[in-house]
Parts: sequence; C-alpha cells; structure tokens
Amino acid sequence: MIGAADLDDLTLVVRAQEGDTRAFEALVRRHQRRLYRLAVRLLGNTSDAEESVQEAFVAAWRQLNGFRGEAAFSSWMYRIVTNRCLTLVRARRPVLALDELGEQADPEGASPEQAAEAHDRATALDRALQQLSAEQRACWILRELHGLSYDDIAAIVGASVDAVRGRLYRARCTLAEVMAPWR
Amino acid sequence: MAVNGIHSQPDTAALACGQDAATVWDRAATGRLGTHDRDCPHCRAVADDQRVLAMAIDALNDQAMEPPPSLVDHVMGAVLTELRPADYLPLPTRHGRARIDRIAAAVVLRHAVDQMTALRVRSCRLHLIEPLASPDTHTPTAVWVHISVTARFGTDLFSATARVRQMILTAAEDLLGLPITAVDVDVVDLFADPARGTH
Amino acid sequence: MLHVSDTVVARVAAYHACRVPGVLRLRPDLAQSLASIATRLFPPRDGEHRIPTDGVTAVIEAGRAEISITLVAQWGRNCRDLAEEVQNQVAEHVGAYTGLPATVTITITDVDYTG
Repeated sequence: MIGAADLDDLTLVVRAQEGDTRAFEALVRRHQRRLYRLAVRLLGNTSDAEESVQEAFVAAWRQLNGFRGEAAFSSWMYRIVTNRCLTLVRARRPVLALDELGEQADPEGASPEQAAEAHDRATALDRALQQLSAEQRACWILRELHGLSYDDIAAIVGASVDAVRGRLYRARCTLAEVMAPWR
Repeated sequence: MAVNGIHSQPDTAALACGQDAATVWDRAATGRLGTHDRDCPHCRAVADDQRVLAMAIDALNDQAMEPPPSLVDHVMGAVLTELRPADYLPLPTRHGRARIDRIAAAVVLRHAVDQMTALRVRSCRLHLIEPLASPDTHTPTAVWVHISVTARFGTDLFSATARVRQMILTAAEDLLGLPITAVDVDVVDLFADPARGTH
Repeated sequence: MLHVSDTVVARVAAYHACRVPGVLRLRPDLAQSLASIATRLFPPRDGEHRIPTDGVTAVIEAGRAEISITLVAQWGRNCRDLAEEVQNQVAEHVGAYTGLPATVTITITDVDYTG
C-alpha cells in the first residue's frame, strides 16, 4: 500500500488541486522543515517565521490551481515564503547598528570548549546575517544554507543570475569581515 | 550592479594577483584550489575567509530548528475551513435521497488504486451524466471516471491500465456503491524505480 | 395525539445515526454552520428551531418528519449501503419513538481512511 508520503510532489499537487486535503497535508509535512528554517534565518525570529510559513501554505492552497507544474513545487513554495519574508523585513526598521554587532561578534571571553565555540560562531554569524540587506540575505541563505543553484535562486527572488551572483559576493565579503576575528 | 551608471559596489573583485575573488571562493568551497591559489597570499586570504564562514555555516546548520507541530495544524485548520462549493454525486438507495461529496468519492477511488505499485493515480475526476428525463430520484444516473496515471518504467502499459480500470470499477461498486459506466485512463508520465535502478 | 418538536426528532435521529457501524461522526454542513451563525445573530421566532444537533436537521411538516443527516464514513464500508442503513435505522427509530413517518436524506461529505 502506497501512503501519501511515498508519492511524488506532482502527484500530490494534482490531487490537492482536485480538492484532496490529505494530499495537501502530505505536501505541507514534507516541505515545512526547509521552509521554516529559511524563514527563521530570513526573519531572525521563530514566531514571525512560523506565521509566515503558515500564511504561505494557506496562500499556496488558494493559488494551487495556478500552479502548472513547470517549476518544482519546492521552488514555488520557496518563492512564496521568500517574498512574504522579504515584505515583512522591508516593513520593519534595522535591528542593530554595525558597531554594536562588532562587539557582540567578538569572540573574546568565549569558552575554549569546542561546543561553546561552535555555538558562539553560529550566533555571531546569525547576528551578522541580520545586518545584510534583505535581498543579499535571501540569496546567501538560499545558496549557503539550502544549497540551491544560482538559476533556482534567481527564479525564487525574481532577479537575474548575475544579480544573484553579485548579491552573494557582497554578502560573503560582509560576513567574512564580521567573522574575521574567528580566524 | 550599475546604479545611475556608477558601480556603487562591485559584484566581483579582481585580486591583486589578477584572479577573480568570487571564482577563487567557489574553488575553495568545492575543495578545488589550484597550486597558485595555495601559494598566493591574496588567494589564500580568500580561501581563509571561505573556511571561516564554512565553519560558522556548519555550526549554524547544527542549530537548525524543527518547525513546531502547531504549524501543520494551523495550516490544515485554515485549509479545511476554506469554503468550497458543495458538489455531490447521487447514491442509489431505496428509500430517501443519498449523496456523496464528489471529492470524497475521488479520494476513495485513488486510495484503492494506491494499492497497485506499478501505477500512481494523479487526477481522478468523476463526471455525472444526468439522466435525460424526470426529477424522479430513482432514475439511475451514470458516472464516468477519468483518471490520469504515471506508470513505473518498464510496466506493461496495456495490462496495467486494464487492471487499474478493473480496480476502479470494483472499488466504485464495493466501496462507494456507485454505478460507473466508463473509465478512461490516461498514462501521463513514467516514474523510475529507485530500488531496481531503472532510470 | 403526541406533539414533538423538530429538536426531538433531530436528537433521536442523531443518536441512532451515530450508532450505525461505519459512521465515524456527524458533521454540520455549510448551510448549517451559516444557519447556526444566523440563529445566534437573529434569535428564531417560535417554531423555527431548525438547528438542533450538529450534522442533523429535522423539519416536521404535515405530519411527516423530513430529516437530513451529514456524516463522515469510515473507509471500507460501502457508502451506498451505509447511507441506506442509516436511512432505515433512523426512520425506524424516529417512527417508533415519535409516531412520525420519516424521510431521511443522507450526505456523505468525507470518507476517512486514516482513522
């Protein structure tokens, strides 16, 4: 017996388009983890992330008949979540000033234990991420944390591949600078 | 990126040694640094930056959080309360009227066919062919089923579609009690069987 | 002569419909959900109590009970046979309890194969 979890995305999408809510639930369960992690990094907090991903899935359910299957369902969802998060980020003011960040990212006084060091490294990088422009952050996260190709990222953020390459390069420069004390 | 004809910030940068920094970065990330990259101080600096960031990325990935269980519940709660037009097929009972939601009937047929491993049902639509005359509830109605399937690569399509047609007829009679007049089967795609290494 | 309300008929119908094997639960349909909102907003005049039990409506007219039941069926049970069994059980019990002849309309909104 094949369960919904064994079916490919497109089969589940067609079923959901015809009103099968259990097929849609299988899609939500399959993709929620990646999308939630994307939203957490884009937004910098979990409660906004949860809400954005929920809204994105409900929006996807409503627009499902417009999904024609030329792109993968995952790319389509990445685009919806990214757009929602970017809109939210643009609507709020920057959280930290750069010099403040420099102090927080300073590893001085960090425990020599590796676990603690890894934790501090992650925290420093996470803080640094929030200092990037929303567009740079989106490109960097999709590339470095989600391993997507330049083509996929370009389609998701609605920019050219060259623009994605540029944003990624500038993001890396900024992050490398902030992370320099960790060399 | 050109803004008003001026490069406000370069997309890429040439290092003092002439190498493109972004390209060196990509080589470092994929572990393909050349002899020059390793000897040149400029390229080494880029590779060091890449390494420091890569370690931080690993640390960040280790902290990745699981979505809360409430996420699926909230989404499905909203989905299930979305209004959709009610659409039913009549069930032929002897006394009084009975009907079944058209989507629920399709779900039953799909789920029955999901027991076949050679085929996967994508679309499953039930069309009601209205009886020509009379509002008499006992006039038999006809239902026509149109399904699209994907087939396992190498499956005998003639026998598999004949079998799925028979399964639909049997499931409609045994599970729904709905008389079906015709079943159309479209094979829309093939899928590979990873277990048997087909491709 | 015995006089019973729509509510009495609906409660008897709901009670016996739930007990037919293969009926997972009764479910208010959209019209009922909207009607129950309307009832809260506009309290009914006498004789218009038509939302007595989730998933069941009953109206007594000219000495007959018109009952409508919306339900979720269990996977594996033949839907037509299930509908017929609910119609028979409900009509029989409503008749025996209230003396009213009943016509029962069944709507199956979902078939649950997970539970």
